[in-house]
Amino acid sequence: MPIKVLAFAGSPRRHGNSETLLDWVLGGMSTDDDIVIEKVALTDANINPCKGCNACERLNKCVQRDGMDFYHDKIVDADIILLSSPIFCMGVASQVKALIDRAQVFRSRKYVLKLPVVPPERKGKRLGVFLASAGQKWDNVFDAAIPSVKCFYHVIDIRDADISYLMINGVDEKGAIEHHLTAKTEAEKLGKTVIAELRKRLAL
Amino acid sequence: MEIKVLGISGSPHRHGNTETLLDSFLYGTKTAGASVEKVVLRDLDYSPCRGCNACHKTGECIVKDDAIALFDKILKADAIAVASPIYSMGITAELKGLIDRGQYLWARKFILKTLYFPNDHIVRHKGIFISTAGLSWDNVFDAAFPAITAFFNGVGFEYYDNIIANNMDQFKGIKNHPTALREAFEKGQNVVGVLNKLHNRVP
Repeated sequence: MPIKVLAFAGSPRRHGNSETLLDWVLGGMSTDDDIVIEKVALTDANINPCKGCNACERLNKCVQRDGMDFYHDKIVDADIILLSSPIFCMGVASQVKALIDRAQVFRSRKYVLKLPVVPPERKGKRLGVFLASAGQKWDNVFDAAIPSVKCFYHVIDIRDADISYLMINGVDEKGAIEHHLTAKTEAEKLGKTVIAELRKRLAL
Repeated sequence: MEIKVLGISGSPHRHGNTETLLDSFLYGTKTAGASVEKVVLRDLDYSPCRGCNACHKTGECIVKDDAIALFDKILKADAIAVASPIYSMGITAELKGLIDRGQYLWARKFILKTLYFPNDHIVRHKGIFISTAGLSWDNVFDAAFPAITAFFNGVGFEYYDNIIANNMDQFKGIKNHPTALREAFEKGQNVVGVLNKLHNRVP
């Protein structure tokens, strides 16, 4: 069975700092032939904001027909889900928030309709990675982004303890992350670690 | 001089809990003599920030859409009430999309240094955050505040107050909340009183 890796690049700026960080992690992951990586740039993914209509609480699906039709199944199928975002105004980019809010369909499935999001045998065998970059150097610049990220992973059956984080502050202009002393090494190492952890879980 | 109050509803859901709470606040400001306008983000046409940083050079956003006209309106108001429900521990993507588009003002302030809000401007411009959440958790609004802080800072408004109500799922809606709607109404009246005083002091 191949290992399915789904990576959402959340920045509207293509190949900027947060996406570069994502690429480095994916580089660290793509060491073996059985690893299938799909990267999605959210700026091109046509995922609209949640309408807050709560219809998914009854229908078990979203009433909107857009890119999420396509990514819904991929989110369920993936073994590893990565999400990268720049920090804009102390939070994730609005494109990323739209994806997170559209995961409401999974929340409805799990808590309202009491249906499984993934089959029971796959629980604990899915891992999440959140990557972020911020222009500001403040230590707390990522703090307000994390609760929403945890919500996203929680409703798609990836536990808090199974989310890894790599967040690099003080990188603003495009390419700035290339000059960061440790980001690339840490990212590649994280990619390898997450794959190794998943293999361990799958062997259990 | 009439106090100008602008309400911005960031909920995709019309006349739901958050917008109802906003309406109560706005009604309070109106009874205190303010001129009131409400903008519903759902009805506007604007795209998210592209992160292109063109505004860092020019101080202007290259995307010409409803967001720019709304920022113009915000900058002319004396008080703004920004309302969003909590979705996944944060504000809605619609409101975050608007806030992110304020980057050109940030660029004017911090890169180009063509925009500066002196302190006496900031104290005469009051920003109020209005929100509701389904969950009962005490911390359910915490991750929303920093983006709202960034927004009010960006447009030169003092982050004056929050009008927030959690546990909507249990209450079965804002109308059954024991205090929230009255609190919003009273805070609306009060902020207009405070602004009137401040304007008399600063000719």
